[in-house]
Amino acid sequence: MNLPEFLAESFFQRALLVALALGPICGFLGVFVTARRMAFFSDTISHAALTGVAAGFLAGFDEPTLPVLLYCSLVAVAMLWLRERTQLLNDTIMAVLLSTSVAGGVVLLSLQRNRWAELDKVLLGDILSVNWVDVGAAWAVAILVASALLRWLTPLVLLTTHEDLAHVGGIHVRRLNYGFVILLTIAVSLTIRALGILLVTSLIVLPPAIARSLSVNLRQHIVFSFLVGTVGATGGVLLSYPLNLPTGPTITLTLGFLFILSLATRHLRRAPTATHPSP
Amino acid sequence: MPPSVESPAIEIRDARIRLGDTDVLRGVTMSVPRGKMVALIGPNGSGKTTLLRCLLGLQKLDSGVVKLLGEPIGPRVLGRIGYVPQRLQLESSFTISVREFLSLRRRETRRWFWQSHRKTDALLLGTLGELGVESLLDRPLAGLSGGQLQRVLIAYSLLSEPELLLLDEPTAGVDTPGEQSFYELISGIHARLKITVVLVSHDLAMVFRQASWVYALNGVICCEGHPEQVLNADSLKAAYGIHVTPYHHHHGHGSTEAGQPIQFRRR
Repeated sequence: MNLPEFLAESFFQRALLVALALGPICGFLGVFVTARRMAFFSDTISHAALTGVAAGFLAGFDEPTLPVLLYCSLVAVAMLWLRERTQLLNDTIMAVLLSTSVAGGVVLLSLQRNRWAELDKVLLGDILSVNWVDVGAAWAVAILVASALLRWLTPLVLLTTHEDLAHVGGIHVRRLNYGFVILLTIAVSLTIRALGILLVTSLIVLPPAIARSLSVNLRQHIVFSFLVGTVGATGGVLLSYPLNLPTGPTITLTLGFLFILSLATRHLRRAPTATHPSP
Repeated sequence: MPPSVESPAIEIRDARIRLGDTDVLRGVTMSVPRGKMVALIGPNGSGKTTLLRCLLGLQKLDSGVVKLLGEPIGPRVLGRIGYVPQRLQLESSFTISVREFLSLRRRETRRWFWQSHRKTDALLLGTLGELGVESLLDRPLAGLSGGQLQRVLIAYSLLSEPELLLLDEPTAGVDTPGEQSFYELISGIHARLKITVVLVSHDLAMVFRQASWVYALNGVICCEGHPEQVLNADSLKAAYGIHVTPYHHHHGHGSTEAGQPIQFRRR
């Protein structure tokens, strides 16, 4: 069997490895992000990265992942803190931080004309240009996030079900909330390299939404979302090259296609049992 | 642990809380003996929810003392009580099943994600006995009716084998036939397990049917006693400024009025 030539290219293999690491953990995290209505939260974190990137360049970093991680964490913690300490609505807090971070990032980038071209990469991602350090970072993060989620799965599920029950069950609710947000922030910061600020949330929100129609319980939901994340991310990378399409958007479109397919299967499965059994 | 055996299930002394400009609790003192089924009643705004949050360690007192089972509120004593919340606000996208939810409560089933359903069920049902949740185990938690959800929440709280059960507005969101089976369920649990049960509610019909002692809250405990005494007490009416429709308990449960909850009404 002849493999297509591009599979032998090391830049392509690196891209595939990054997708293979980030796709599944974004899917896993996504189950909790969607159930806890944090999709906009995740979007705010990713948009905050623009300021992180621009400030990182300004501070002399060539590789902005670290400043992005720092600034995104700052924004994430600020969101939680403002929610606890002020009367402002969640949506308001997030919209304020999102828009100011985007504006701040663009202004900071405009001060560095030589970096202006980076804006495209930051907005839409550039997974085909990752180096081996990026691959290592992606896998380290994937292992960290997956093992943390599995280690604290039961408390996290309880927290997602009912905060007060979690508290009575002996869970340190506040600590767990912050912990989850930090994990999410780390995953988002790394995934920006692949999908860009604009599309990161698609890899977090679409897999659980697709897996939802296939699952009858949480265990299945987690497993399917993990798998869909893997298929979507690697499938997008594999499709983008021969079709000569931008990789990040292709990942999102692959997931979008699977989403439509999942709606159709849900519709087909629902049809025979149109009447819901009354309690 | 000799001291806690004798101590009351709930002991509150001069509890005070001010939230914003309102004195929500103005020196609440009450003591609930062990093994009783009691009710804490009061209209909206009487401080019921705040007091319940204090008992659960979710709200700090400005001054005063609250003890559960002879201990100050903390993770250790909270592990010995069961709390049944009024409702869950679950996203329908959260697919957790009843089996998975119940698994969260017991140490043996903490690894539910890796365990077979059969093993999990054996561990759960061994404790739950005939609570009537077996048929619900595969159902999604977000898809249950009010009555089913309440049964599951009670089952969940009993899994930790609590010494004290706190129920927040247990008949809210349950239809009339569901209420009847709730009464049977809760009195069955009380009789079988001999645990202290505290019903926090504004539903006076429930007080008549269930509680052997009633605490009426209105910022303070304005009166307490047997249900008949409390509901007829002038002090209650005066303190609340409400009109309490007399509830004809002795008229028999077959009549139409029997199922109707009596509510506090402000005059």
